[in-house]
Parts: sequence; C-alpha cells; structure tokens
Amino acid sequence: MKLTTKLMALATSAVMALAAPAFAEDWAPDGPLTIQIGFGAGGSTDTMGRVLAEVMKKNTGWNIVVENKPGGGGVAMFTGLSQRPVDNKTIGMGVSIPVLVQLVQRGDQLPFDTDSFDYLGTVAKAELALVASKDAPFDDLEGMIAYAKEQGSLPVATMAPPQVLMMNQTKSTTGADFNLVTADGGAEVMKLILGGQVMAGFGSGEHYPYLDSGDMKVIAGANQSRLSYAPDVKTFIESGVNAYVDPIFFLAMRAGTDPAAITAISAAIDEATKAPEFAKIVQNAVKGDPINMGTDGTKKMMVDGLANAKILFAK
Amino acid sequence: MVEFSTILAGFGDAFSLYNLAFVLFGVVLGQFVGAVPGIGPIMAMAIAIPFTFGLDPLPAIAFLVGVNKGGLVGGAVPAVLMNTPGTPDAAATALDGYPLAKQGKPLKATKMALFSSITGDTFSDIVLITVSAPLAVLALKMGPIEVVALMIFAFSILAGLIGNSLTKGIIAAAFGLLAASVGQDPENFTPRLIFGYWDLFDGLALPSVAIGMLAISEILHRLSEAHGNMRPTIIAKDTGNPDDRRVTWAEYWSCRFTMLRGATIGTILGALPGIGSTAAAFMSYAMTKASSKDPGSFGKGNIQGIAASESANSAVVGANLIPLLTLGIPGSVGAALIISAFMIHGMQPGPLLFENQGRLVYGLFGAMIMANFVNLWVGQLGLRLWVKVVSAPESIIFSSALLLCFVGVSMATSGLFGVAIMLIFAVIGYLMASFGYSLVIFIIAFFLGPRFEKSIAQSLALTNGDLTQVLKSPVALALLILSVVSVVWFLRKNVQGEDE
Repeated sequence: MKLTTKLMALATSAVMALAAPAFAEDWAPDGPLTIQIGFGAGGSTDTMGRVLAEVMKKNTGWNIVVENKPGGGGVAMFTGLSQRPVDNKTIGMGVSIPVLVQLVQRGDQLPFDTDSFDYLGTVAKAELALVASKDAPFDDLEGMIAYAKEQGSLPVATMAPPQVLMMNQTKSTTGADFNLVTADGGAEVMKLILGGQVMAGFGSGEHYPYLDSGDMKVIAGANQSRLSYAPDVKTFIESGVNAYVDPIFFLAMRAGTDPAAITAISAAIDEATKAPEFAKIVQNAVKGDPINMGTDGTKKMMVDGLANAKILFAK
Repeated sequence: MVEFSTILAGFGDAFSLYNLAFVLFGVVLGQFVGAVPGIGPIMAMAIAIPFTFGLDPLPAIAFLVGVNKGGLVGGAVPAVLMNTPGTPDAAATALDGYPLAKQGKPLKATKMALFSSITGDTFSDIVLITVSAPLAVLALKMGPIEVVALMIFAFSILAGLIGNSLTKGIIAAAFGLLAASVGQDPENFTPRLIFGYWDLFDGLALPSVAIGMLAISEILHRLSEAHGNMRPTIIAKDTGNPDDRRVTWAEYWSCRFTMLRGATIGTILGALPGIGSTAAAFMSYAMTKASSKDPGSFGKGNIQGIAASESANSAVVGANLIPLLTLGIPGSVGAALIISAFMIHGMQPGPLLFENQGRLVYGLFGAMIMANFVNLWVGQLGLRLWVKVVSAPESIIFSSALLLCFVGVSMATSGLFGVAIMLIFAVIGYLMASFGYSLVIFIIAFFLGPRFEKSIAQSLALTNGDLTQVLKSPVALALLILSVVSVVWFLRKNVQGEDE
C-alpha cells in the first residue's frame, strides 16, 4: 500500500513537473471556447471558421465549439456578442464590409460600434468580382456601361447592400441605368446569369468553376486592387467609378476581455492560419492565401474601414 | 460526357464494406435524430461535418448522405406515432399517419411511410443519376417570373387543403405570410417587425416556428386532455390480423400512381432551388386527395395520404443534388451542408465536377443507392423499436419529447431566444388549432413566404414593374392559368363536399 502511494506521488509530481512550465506561461480557457459564425452553415465564412476551429483545437488541445449565428451579414451575431458579459471564451467571426455598411447606414440603431470589440486577427480577404456570361456583348465595365446606355437599362444581380451601393454609384457617375435584382447569395447570382435572366452579377467565389469551364468572364474587380486571379481585368475605380469593397474575414471578442486571453487566442489563430490544411480551405473558398493582420492590424482595418465606408456608402 | 469506365470505377469505389459501414452509421444516426422530435438531420449533418475531416472524401460524403436520407425516414416516425412532426416536411404525413396509428395500426402506418419514402427517394436518385444535366438546364430557364408563377400555382393547389371554412384558411395563410415577413426585407435590407430584437434580423427561425406550431402545440393539446389518467401514448392493438401490422403488396401496389405522382412533384420541386420538401409533400397530398374517388377518407387514416406525402418529401432530397452537382447551387440547407463538405475536401461543385471528379460523383451515386437499401433495412428494424418506445405512458413520452424540443431548438437556433419564439408559436398554434384554423396552411405560407416575396421583388426589378412582361413567358402564363383553374376547381369541390 505504502509503495503504491509513493509511486503515485512520484508519478503525479513527475507529470506536474512536465506540465507545469507549459501551464505557467500559457493562458487556457476555463471551459470550451465558442466561435460564433455570423453566417449560416455551408457558406465560405462557415467553412473557414469550422476548419480554423479544428486546426486550433488540434494545435492547442482546447475544446472549441462552433455555432452559426446568422442574421444581417453578421450584425445579429456581433450585436449579441457586444451585449453579453465578458467571459473570455466567446469569439465572433464575421466579415468586415457588411458590418461597416450597417454601422454607416443605421449606426444609431445598433448597440455596438468598432470600439465594442477586442480584435483577434483576420483570416482572409474576399475578392469580389462582377462577372457575366461568356456570350455577353461586352468585356469590361466601360463596355457594360456603354451597352446599358444603348439598351436603356441592363439587369444586374447583386447579393448584398454594398454591391447595390456600388451599382448605384455606377449609375450616378455614368448615367447608365441598371435593373438591380437582389439574389439570395452568390449561388443564385450564378443561376440568374446562367439562366439569362440577368446580364451580369457579383460573385465572391461561386463563379470560379464557371471561369474554369469558360462559361463566364470577369467584367470588373470590385476590390481596391485588381483580382489576384484576373490581373488583366480593371477594377471599378480604374473604370472611373469611385467605389470599392474589401471584405475581410475577421475574429473578435467583447471589449474588456482579459489581455492574457486575447494574447493566447490570437496566437492560436495566427498559428492556425499558417497551417497547410487551413491554407487549402482558404484557397478553395476565396482563391487566395490566408491573411492575418494581427490584433492591432485588424483594429486599424476596422476603424479605417469605417471612415472609408462613411465616404463610400453615406446615405 | 463521362466515360463508362469512370462510372464503373466510381460505383466500384462505393461498393466497399468500408463505405457501407459509413453509410450504415449515417443512416442509423439520421433515422434516430429524425425520429427524435426537435433534432433534425440538418443539425446532425452540421455537427457531423467536422468529424469527417479525417476521412477520405467518398466515405465522408456517403456518411452525410446517409444522415440526410435516414433523417427523412426517421422524420415520419413521430409524425405518425404522436402527431408531432419533428420536421415540417413530415407534417403532411401526420394528416393520415396519425389517425391510422390511433386505429391501432401504428406499424402499418410507419411501414407505409418507410416504403413510400424509399420509393420516392429511389425515383429521384434514378432521375439524378441519369438525366441530371438536361434537367439542370431546364431548371435554369425558370427565372424569377416563372418561380413566382410556380409558387402561385403551389398556393392554389393548397386551396385543396383549406377544408370547410374558406375564411379561416385565408386568415391562416395571411398570418403565415405576415410571420414570414419578419426580418430584413429582401430589396432594401431594412429591418421589418423586429421590435429591436436583432436576433430577428434574418426572420423568425424556421425550427422555432415549425416545432412550436407542429410539435409543442400538439403536446399542449394532449396535456390538456390528460385529466391525470395514466395511459400509453399509442395503443398497438393486437387484432389478430397480421395485415394490420404490415403493408401488403396489394396495398403498396394500389399506391403506385400516388407514389409516382409524389415522386415526380418532389423531383421537380427539388431541382428548383429554394422551394423545398414541405411544399412538395403538401402539394402531392392535396393533389392525391383531389383526384381520389373517396376524398372524405383522407385525414382519417388513408394510406394513400401517407404515400403521397412521404414519396414527395423524400424525392426532394435526391433532386436537390441536381442543381448542386451540375451547377454548384444548393437547393436546401441540407444540400448547402453537402457543398460545404465538398469544399472542405477540396472539391468545388459546378459545371466541371463531372469532368474533374467523375469517379467521385459516381461513387457518391453508388453510396446513395446503398443508402436507400440500408435505409429500408434499418427502417424495418427501427420502426418496431419506435412503436415499442411510444407505447410508454404519455406522461413519460410527452415530457421527454418536450425536453428534446427545447434542446433541439436551442441547438438549432444557438440559444434561448429561439426557444422563446418556439413557446410563443406553441401557444399561437394551440389557440389556432382549438379555434379551427389550419396550422398546415400557416406553416406552408410561412415557409414559402420569403421565397415568394423575393421572387416577386426580383421579377419587378427585372421588368421595371411592367406586368405585361409575364405574357412573354409561356411557362409562367401556363402556370398562372392552371392556378386559376385549380382554385376554382378546389373551391367548387369544397362547396360540393359541404352540400353532401
């Protein structure tokens, strides 16, 4: 009996000695971490979020739960996140542009602003493109505008408010008229283009297979810089329309979270964004590499983005 | 065109013991979560996706397909045995399934549901495997204007379910549309009727409304009738006649046209994204009832009613993969989850999928066929078990069902807000049912509402509000004429029914 006790004590102290340094330095959550995705299951944010959680879980050994909290392009989730008590273990994942546009358009009704969160990092940038069927009688935005003027108006499919605003900006700058059809996500935009109901539409990744198959062509890039996969295609800005969107997938926690938690979780996110299996998912979802701007860089991106959105999307 | 050797290789990949094990596991899980009220196959798939990371693509997708298919069979179980459909697409099954179960034939009712579900599913799988590409092209031609016309047609067919009071039917439908309009409007993205609750921004959550209205309100109803007696939830009478415990070949065969019609409706609606299995089940049910020589027997335990509903809702699942595989467009939440599984495994559904991943796609088809057989086999065993379980006293069954609904809805909507909405709709549902308003009409209107509104908005944007543009679409025109015909016909039939 005594021997057993001694052996147990020895074993316990050995385990503690081995484990102690790791625990002394690292913060660990007291319970499962929750990543709330601001979009429904099956989309690119959801897919990237779930794989990110899986890789983080593998690297850190933390238990991570992923939940979908769709609504208003992430606004519902961020509203909830800003209203809950600080618990050091609830993380929100969303996309910058829809949140910024809502803050500009009805910031007075929203219970949060960019200061309501502590930012953890970013994972990727979405590239938004205006695409058309391969048979469309124009190849770039200027051609499309000219064709719209010639025809009187041109049907274009959008899927979110920022794109509507971009097209309205195009209307007011050039005087061309567009019938803006709002679709339920990028897949439906593709369906409308393929079915011939609209002449052009916005895609944030859903159009890649059709570019590969030659059924569609890129008309313009909607980001600030040109599209990585179509460097010859001009952006809206280069075509004379002063509007762009740079949607960035980011993660944040409620402001006031324990700095040790922020440090540990952002480090875990950073490590996960460098993993090859995560890079593969990002490549599949946005045709780009993972981008992590870090905690300060993410905050700056949101604050600058809000200022920029105020200019672009002011009522 | 995919080469024949690729097709064979794909099927060869699928038919392995390893994949069979994953299909079996998926089907068992799917039937279980489908049968448990409150937790649906969709949620099970969402939870299961991360666990498929470590698998090869084929077993991973085979597993998810198994869950999806198993869930459809399972979903009919609580609808038939307890009149508490776990998923709204089984609500039409409850209309005749539950009366039949109450007559002491729960096994017959659930088996009919199983057989017709698998018949419908197999039908749409065959369509998917053989003619998905041309069907997808046809589906593309259905633009917003045609979709609006199709939905008006769907609503007109549902007039057949209104029952005695036209006024009450219209009120229930209007209320369903009103509930559907909660949340951000599809055109200008302004929040509507959210009363400051941002959780309502994307509308009332479907699981909350459906489970509250269909399952909890029925449980409330049963509780109100209990009077403190201890009685089993369902009585499986042993009549001595073995035919009451099974479906005879003659009975199955007598439903062949019903099932064919149901499977066709399900396949067509499934190939068009966004309309869904609930509408398919009810359209099939209404059409079967209307074309029956004895419409009065519906709602009283007619196996044709079960066959109509189950063949249609199951056919939607296979057909949902038509736009998914050929165009990369998900037709339902379940299909969206399968896309996400494809993407996680590095594949992009779309026009090149058959070309680049032909072997995998045919492997998936092989797995779907396997899943149908496994579903039949597991179902045969499982149904007996469920009937036994539900023979337990009401106090046990309904309290556990209530608990599961709470857990399920809080999981599906990620929080207690969804549970609160569920309870509100449970009370509304209880009151509506007590005063003779059709919950079914409400649910269908609620389900079709957002899509209907969006399609109208799209049509108006495309045509600049010029209604004469409808005349340019022969399909839309034909559907609208059919709608008028069917409304007139159903209403006359209803009036005749009252005169008798």
